[in-house]
Amino acid sequence: MASGPISRDRINLDGASILLLDDTPMGMSILVQIVTGLGAKILHRCATLEEAQKATESCVLDLAIVDAMPPSGAGYEFVRWLRTTATEPNRYAPVLLTTGHTPARDVFRARDVGSTLIIRKPIVPTVVVERIFRATAEGRQFVMSDSYSGPDRRHRDLGPPNGVGRRYTDGDSFELAITDRPVAG
Amino acid sequence: MSGAQFVTPPNRLAEIMRKPGGIVVADAISRAERNLEAIRPACRADMMGLLDTCEAALKAMGEAYDEAAVTTLYATAVRGIGAGAVCGAPTVDLALTSLCDLITHLLARGQHDRKALEVHIQAWRLLMTTELPEAARETMLEGLRRVSAHHAPQG
Repeated sequence: MASGPISRDRINLDGASILLLDDTPMGMSILVQIVTGLGAKILHRCATLEEAQKATESCVLDLAIVDAMPPSGAGYEFVRWLRTTATEPNRYAPVLLTTGHTPARDVFRARDVGSTLIIRKPIVPTVVVERIFRATAEGRQFVMSDSYSGPDRRHRDLGPPNGVGRRYTDGDSFELAITDRPVAG
Repeated sequence: MSGAQFVTPPNRLAEIMRKPGGIVVADAISRAERNLEAIRPACRADMMGLLDTCEAALKAMGEAYDEAAVTTLYATAVRGIGAGAVCGAPTVDLALTSLCDLITHLLARGQHDRKALEVHIQAWRLLMTTELPEAARETMLEGLRRVSAHHAPQG
């Protein structure tokens, strides 16, 4: 994971305006506890698609963490709306889409509505940090066309080189990424 | 819009992250983990509420295929995925994932298997309320996965 943070890096979410969308109090509570622990202070908590659209229209967003909200899929709808209808700069805000149960078709759906990255539940702080660093480090262009608006889908994480081993779960992977490894150069 | 337009918008979050200040990543993660521990009792109460709801839904379910009833069961169970870890019962997340897989397969095939649903919900309660040895938990999860896989579309 080339862009993953190491434990002595700093994360600065102090001035970041973050939209959280989750229709369950329990899910929202978990998100809030994680992002406030990571230092976020400006949160827009939304439980419905309509609330999220209203919040997006009334403030500038730097990050959105959106639950897919099955079975209605309102989370996907919000991301699609954000990418196609919201005004700049919010339409370009990085979106981390969280999913509990993720059949393959939903992974494609998350990508095709314009999510930046997906977080599979259980959501753990290490993975949220890793995704935030990836979302800020990537130089992905935005594509706008009749059929798709969102981050360029043509990117690939090649993973660790041969012989290093392959991550099994998100949580395991970050254990590797967060060690105090020496910084080259 | 004809053709695709490519733009490179400013990465506002990256600009914020580059500003002086913030927290060392290791400390930020520890703080977030402590915050999650603080909500463990409330999360556990919510999970038990979801479990009660699912048990009641199963009890009310008939013996024939009922798409609406099974969809409702899915909508309740899927809300619990991810909360098991926060409650201190991470294997519950795996049991719920297996239950949601099972329901997805049943809905795709228009089939009903009350016993398979029942065994998942019973396992959910057991994993929430009983201190089982790890080997027993693994055996139970493997059994649940086999039950779900049995209904998976072939090929």
